[in-house]
Amino acid sequence: MAALEARGSHPRPGLRAPVRATRGTYCVRVTAAAGPERAVVLRGLVKRFGATLAVAGIDLDIPAGSFYGVVGPNGAGKTTTLSMATGLLVPDAGTVHVHGVDVWREPAQAAPLLGVLPDGLRLFDRLTGPELISYAGLLRGMDSHVVAARRDDLLGALDLTGAGATLVADYSAGMTKKVALACALVHAPRVLVLDEPFEAVDPVSATAIRTILQQFAANGGTVVMSSHVMALVERVCDHVAVIGAGRILAAGPLDEVRAGQDLEERFVDLLGGATETPELSWLRPSSG
Amino acid sequence: MVATLVRLKLRILRHTLRREVWRLVLMIIGILWALSMLPSVIGGMLWLSEQGEGAARDILVVAGTLVVGGWTLIPILVPGMDDSLDIERFATSGTSARRLAPGLLVAGLVSVPAVFTGLVAFAPVLAWHRQDWQTLALAVVCAPLAVVTCLLHSRVCTALAARMLSSRRSRETSAVLGLLAAVLAVPAVLALGSLGLEGALEKVPTIAQVLGWTPLGLPWAAPSAMAVGDRTGALARLALCVVWVLALVVAWIALLQRALVRPPSRSGQARRRADAMLPRTATRRHPGVVAAAAVARRGLRYWTADPRYMGSLLGSVVAPVLIVMLVAAVVDTPAAVALGLGGFMAGTIGWGRHNDVAYDGTAFWLHVAAHVPGWADRLGRTLATFVWAAPVVLLVSLVGAALAGRWELAPAAVGLGFGVLCGGLAVSAVASALLPYPVPEAGANPYAAEMGAVGATMVAQLVSSMATLVVCAPVGALYALSLWVQDSLAGVTLVVGLVGGVLTLAAGVVLGGRVYDGRAPRLLARLA
Repeated sequence: MAALEARGSHPRPGLRAPVRATRGTYCVRVTAAAGPERAVVLRGLVKRFGATLAVAGIDLDIPAGSFYGVVGPNGAGKTTTLSMATGLLVPDAGTVHVHGVDVWREPAQAAPLLGVLPDGLRLFDRLTGPELISYAGLLRGMDSHVVAARRDDLLGALDLTGAGATLVADYSAGMTKKVALACALVHAPRVLVLDEPFEAVDPVSATAIRTILQQFAANGGTVVMSSHVMALVERVCDHVAVIGAGRILAAGPLDEVRAGQDLEERFVDLLGGATETPELSWLRPSSG
Repeated sequence: MVATLVRLKLRILRHTLRREVWRLVLMIIGILWALSMLPSVIGGMLWLSEQGEGAARDILVVAGTLVVGGWTLIPILVPGMDDSLDIERFATSGTSARRLAPGLLVAGLVSVPAVFTGLVAFAPVLAWHRQDWQTLALAVVCAPLAVVTCLLHSRVCTALAARMLSSRRSRETSAVLGLLAAVLAVPAVLALGSLGLEGALEKVPTIAQVLGWTPLGLPWAAPSAMAVGDRTGALARLALCVVWVLALVVAWIALLQRALVRPPSRSGQARRRADAMLPRTATRRHPGVVAAAAVARRGLRYWTADPRYMGSLLGSVVAPVLIVMLVAAVVDTPAAVALGLGGFMAGTIGWGRHNDVAYDGTAFWLHVAAHVPGWADRLGRTLATFVWAAPVVLLVSLVGAALAGRWELAPAAVGLGFGVLCGGLAVSAVASALLPYPVPEAGANPYAAEMGAVGATMVAQLVSSMATLVVCAPVGALYALSLWVQDSLAGVTLVVGLVGGVLTLAAGVVLGGRVYDGRAPRLLARLA
């Protein structure tokens, strides 16, 4: 935890430099005009599904090198926002910049910067785990020997080597999540956007994933993750944004948002306080 | 339970119709068509009742066999026809297949084709109305048996096919069996073809005699036998028919029970190699080419590992053979039909990929996130089909020429096959980026009807098939000319097919790539 607290207080100099030499991508590297400070900038994002306004104008600055948690109740628009931020869902209005690259104007330049783990979307599950990771790398045009080396590293780090030649269709939910995370990491992105990365993952794997992500952030990468679990966000994130009804209710460094409270209490406060839960009087073993 | 399931089916139907105007329109068209057919069916039956018992028997048995055969084969060859209640949805209700089966069967009657078949099944009663009461009674008894046979055939066959496609071992077995059946069918068709139309018609009584003892013909043949005074034969056929229906029920319940306990979504198999996606030789290539090769390799895996692809493979390869055999058996010039087999199959394979992206489902996000260049995505998908389809089409075209005994026209047949394959794939490369429509999800029953998008489905299929026809018109015209006017044009057809095909395909990949680039995220949203 010491490393985490240190990260919150000291902005590290020279945020980005290594790792990018072997990336085979078909785009020109764009130097961010906005400077290295902000990894992701969302401005006025709006998305409407029929009559529902899923995202009602979101502005958010995510500092480079931060471990950013996005929390909110079910249906708050977390997944919709993250999908628009990663180029998977066309926004009705607003802009997304990743390290100064406009995700929707210059997708070819933005794609290599982003590693995405969507929630609720399928995978090509007739491939084996190793194949899926290779496939993700090859789709980005990477050299096959680089892909092979990284695939093996990722399989080892995420404890998936044992699954070997099993098809992803036969994976458990947690293994599926892990292999999807590997697909997001294989091209060594600068920004990771992960939707519920710890859902259904067992504690041992969760620790492994957390370590990987914290190292990534410690080396200057940016992690944006959504979660329902406040305790987890409090433990791993240094920044947090609370989304409710398609708007940002609070955002910033974890301690500022918490304002001296427990994150969970603060969260409930922001959402307008806990409502009285009606008692289900019939739900007793004795009542039959 | 029966009433509950029928109510459920009716409620689902009501909700889908309310949500989808197009389905309602289609249903009304279907009902109107069925109603318009009824007078001619009734008229035909009344006419038959005045003919001799022999003629009536032949016609009723052959027509009836076609009806049952259609219910057996069409759901397998045209995926998306099976609109029955999905048994897996009941898996958590703790009800056994035995209790569900009667309700599912009755609920299966709630559809326009089933109701129409039900009415048609009673038509023989009209044809036999001048006969004695025993024949009439038997006809009345056999009608519901025929309907139930139809329904059970379709259910058991799609369930069996879905099972077979879901595991590798059974897939391989069924592929071998299918090949064997095809090889055995060829001499039969040749014999039929050599008889010609007149000769074939002379054989109808014999054929009807044989069909009357098959499960497909039993319910129609029983009253016919009674009509000609063969009481034992009639009762024997009736008994056999009942036994067959009971056997089908037992088989169906067993299949349902298996589906309840072990859904077919899991593949339950491991590959021999952990990673067959990476190319063995590591040569430095353009990133787009790397991506295209990966897409192609992944597509090839899906052709052999995904039941939905296997199902559409069956439809696009077997259906043309069956149709050509049927047509060749009745037309005057079976040679021309046999020669066209390669082109026909090329068309069904190439056009069959017009909804390729939809088969990815939401897994397509990986392509969007990686920002695969449109041309690379299109090229990869095209290659995944082309690499196996080209040899198959070549072989089938040559076999067609050999069957027809027109070797001098072999170049024309090959040119047609290759040109149509490329044309179809070119149209598909554009259409699959432009007009996706829902298909069953990966791991779901590949034969299930997809609710929710009849309009989009019809538009996409209509537009893509029209476009395929237009694109393939030049090579088709040259083929027709070399077949009927000037057989020295065969060489020209071959050249035009090869060169024009490659150019068309390249244009399709480039154009489809442009369309894809412009709307990849929107495409993903349509698939979600």
